[in-house]
Formats: sequence, structure tokens, C-alpha cells
Amino acid sequence: MNKVAFHTEGELLSAIQRGDQQALGSLYKMYFPMVIHFITQNSGTEQEAKDIYQEAIIVLYEHTQEEHFELTCKVKTYIYSVCRRLWLKKLAQKSRFVGRIEDFESFIPFTRDDSEAEDKDEQFKTMKVAMDELGEPCRTILEDFFIHDFTMQQITDKMGYTNVDNAKNQKYKCLMRLKKIFFSQYRGS
Amino acid sequence: MNTNTSAYEQIENYLSGRLSASERIAFELAMDSDGGLAEEVSRQRLLDDSLRIYSSRTKLKNRMDVFHAEMEAVEMPATFKVDRYSLRVFWKKYLPTMAVAASVALITVLSTVLTINHLRSLDNRQTTYYRQLKREIDSFKRATSKAISSAASTRVAPEMRSARYSATGFMISPNGYIITNYHVVKDADSVYIESVQDSIYRYKVKVIHREPGADLALLKIEDRSFTPLRRLPFALSTKEADLAEPVYTLGYPGDDLVYNDGSISSHRGFDGDTSAYRISIPVNPGNSGGPLLDESGNLIGVISGKNTAAEGTAFAVKAKYLMRMIEEIAPDSLPAPVMLPRKNYVRELNRRDQIKKLQGVVFNVRVYKSGV
Repeated sequence: MNKVAFHTEGELLSAIQRGDQQALGSLYKMYFPMVIHFITQNSGTEQEAKDIYQEAIIVLYEHTQEEHFELTCKVKTYIYSVCRRLWLKKLAQKSRFVGRIEDFESFIPFTRDDSEAEDKDEQFKTMKVAMDELGEPCRTILEDFFIHDFTMQQITDKMGYTNVDNAKNQKYKCLMRLKKIFFSQYRGS
Repeated sequence: MNTNTSAYEQIENYLSGRLSASERIAFELAMDSDGGLAEEVSRQRLLDDSLRIYSSRTKLKNRMDVFHAEMEAVEMPATFKVDRYSLRVFWKKYLPTMAVAASVALITVLSTVLTINHLRSLDNRQTTYYRQLKREIDSFKRATSKAISSAASTRVAPEMRSARYSATGFMISPNGYIITNYHVVKDADSVYIESVQDSIYRYKVKVIHREPGADLALLKIEDRSFTPLRRLPFALSTKEADLAEPVYTLGYPGDDLVYNDGSISSHRGFDGDTSAYRISIPVNPGNSGGPLLDESGNLIGVISGKNTAAEGTAFAVKAKYLMRMIEEIAPDSLPAPVMLPRKNYVRELNRRDQIKKLQGVVFNVRVYKSGV
């Protein structure tokens, strides 16, 4: 299980950058214990720890996909700092913050370009809400197309449409509906 | 609908860069002139972006869920995992508190135990160096009766009540008062005195008064057959004896009267006890309650114990405390007045003759006690 396939953090990160699933998996498994400890010590649950950790990994992953990707600290510190910031935010939302965060690692004060990141987060969240509201069969069709990378032919077969054009037509309608919901939600407009 | 579809396709093609150069220029010109179209394009772009973000993040999350499941599967069966995490968290969180609580409990228990032990050791000095000199004869008797019953195995021998302790006592008043040590009769059921000297007799006695502080007890012969003596041969002397004064005692360390002599070695008894003398007389279990007599036959003390840690070191309660005890007893509580011996009739005699006179008033005290 714990094959040492990556000798340095640099190798690991560039593998993740290339989309290496094994690299991402070993990174994921490496730092989860640290985060679950941090969250559960600061009045969080295991499930919350998992959510926060996955959000942090997404941040890291998206960061590796940026053009001039460079990490100025250790991966551990990066993940810890992201989790810490996310958890503080979550605590503030839940107004459960007891005044002091118990720290277990060194961390860096976060200086990521927040406006861009927040735009992205907002888009993601709105899209998630829209998808949830969309209803069947649109949701399945769009998820199969966008997330599971099904071809239109596969969707036609799966959903039982008589031909691909029908499926495409249905997908178009669904997209229009999604668009409507999305823009009704986006930025409160 | 058809126009909408084509417009949508056109926008989509424009955004995905599938239009040819000329088509694109035409489309951009159309956007410039038609504000609605430009608006529509930017909305479409935002939607596409969001969809892309949504899809990539959801994909990533799905993969991470797989990693997570793998990790949990490797670590432990899922049902146990929750417990282990929460247990670990519980430990981390409460370990300092529990450690403090545990150490407080430990210190409390230890100090209590030590204090109790210390107090008990103050009380039970005989368990350390001070040894009370009553003789335990139970085991011997019981062994004997066992031997008898096993020899006569055909019949069951009746359970003989045997004396538990044996010690010494002496008469302090001619009308039948006996002095012995408190520790001898402490939890006695019945007490008898025996003498095998002038004549063999055995009287039942009653414990009249106990004085644990001075380790003295006053007994009285209850037997009707006892005839009071005319007088006691010795006198009670409350004068503090001098160091090096020759002294002797009579006692029943065994079943027979034994004479021992020595001298006063200190005005203080065990551990600085001012109510007792320290004497250098070889004494043994059974000597307890024996009279301590000086050269002229005056009673100056009562043998009570010895120091197990030092050779030839015994202790005797001073006669002054014997007298004080008797004086402090309310006369009403006594069946007959205690007549302390004031006149010494053996003063002029040599020691052998003194002892001949004295041995008649020194008894073997036998203590019976039920139970084991």
C-alpha cells in the first residue's frame, strides 16, 4: 500500500500536477491524520474534518493546476494552514468559536489571491445548488456528461432515448433550465 | 426554439473556439451591435466556467472519497474506527485532568495509609520492640488435646476449654485482691489464679478494675473457699528506687515459680516512659504481672514487658502508679476495701527466706477466652 513512489515533495507535487492518481492518493492518506487531530481538538467532528480536509486538498490541487505553480512551504504546512483557515471560517459561521485555536503545527498566514478564489468558490457553490434543484432526469444527464465523461451515445443508451439527437435535445433543455436556476441563484441576483 | 438552439450553438461554438476565423469576426461584430447577444455570451461563459469548476471539483471529491474509503479499510473496520478516533480524542482531551485526579487520589490514599500506620505504630509499641510478657499457651494445649483425641480415636474427646494466656499476679490486699497487668486480662472471658507453692489451689477471680494507661489491672478472688490472709509479708513502697539498686522478681514464665534478679538500670521505661523503670532482669513471657521487689522485700513495681531489640532490658510499672490506680478507684465500686500492705515483715530476712514468705502470695494467672 505505502509504496515509496515519490522521494521528494517536489516529485510528488509534479506527479499530482500531471494528474497522477496514485500520487494524489498517497498525498491524501498522508496528511489526513494530522487534520483530523486538529479539527477534533478544536470542537469539530470527524465528518467535519473530512470535509475540511477535502476542501483543502481541492485548493492544493487547483493550485497545482495554475500556470506558475510554486509552493513556498512544505506541503504539510500548506495543508495545515489551509485547513486552519477553512476551519476558522466554519467556526465563525457556526459561532462555535471558543476564542482560541489549539495549534499542533506551524502554519503560514494565508496570502492566496482571495477574490479570485472566492469567485471560484461562489461559482462552485451556486452550481451545486443549481444541480441539486435541477431534478431528474436532467441532473443525471448533466452529471453523466460533465462529471462521468459519458459520450452522448452512452447517455442515449443509458436513458433509453430513441436516438442521439433526442438525447442532445434533452440535454440542451436541461442546460437551459440549469442556466435559469444558476443565474437566479448567482450573486443573489 | 430552432433559432434559440442555433443561437445557443453559435455561442457555444464561439466560446469553445470552434468557429472559423471569418465566422468569429462576424460573430464578434454581431455582439458589438447587439448588447443582448454580448450579455448572453458572458452569461454563457460564466455558466461554462462554473460547470467546469463544478465538474472538476466533483470529480476530485469522488476520487478522494475512494481514497478515504481505502484508507479506512486499511486502518480498521469502519465500525471500530469511529470509536478509536473518539477514544483517542477523549484521551488527548482529558488525559491531563485525569492524571491530576489520579495523582490526587494516589497521594490521598498513600498519606492516609501512612498516617494510619504511623498512629498504629505509636499505639502498638509491643509489635515493634516492646513485648508484653504474657505467655500464649493455647497452641501447646491444643496440640496436646489433639494428640489425646487421636490416640483414643474410638470416642470423641470433649472439647476442652484451655487457657489462652498465662501470666503472673500477686496479692495486694489480704482480703483477696490481686494485681496483674492490664494486657494480660484485656479481653479475657474468665480468669483463674493458681498456686502450687504452699498448697495447690485454684481460685476463680474477677477483674475489678482495668487501667490501660499504666498497664495494670485489679482482680479479686471470688471463690467462697478462699479464706483471707492475716497479712501480706511485703510492703508497698512508692519511693522512687535508685539506679543500680538490686531488685528481684518472682513469676510463672512456665508452670513453676521462677526467681530472677537484677538491678534498676533507668528511671525511665520504654521510649522515655516515666511511669516505668527499666530493669536488667532476664524475664520471659509469663513474667508479666510479677512483683518487682527491692532488697528488703518492698514492692517497688510490676513487671510489664521487655525490649526485644536490646538484650536483658525489661520494664516494670512503678509502684507509685499502682498506688495511684487503687486510690483513684471509687470505694463504692469495690466489694471490699483494698488494704494496701504498709508493713514489711520480711525486711530483716535474707533473700532466700524472703522468697519463702513471698511465694505464697504470687500466683499463676490463667486467662480463658472463647473463640480462636
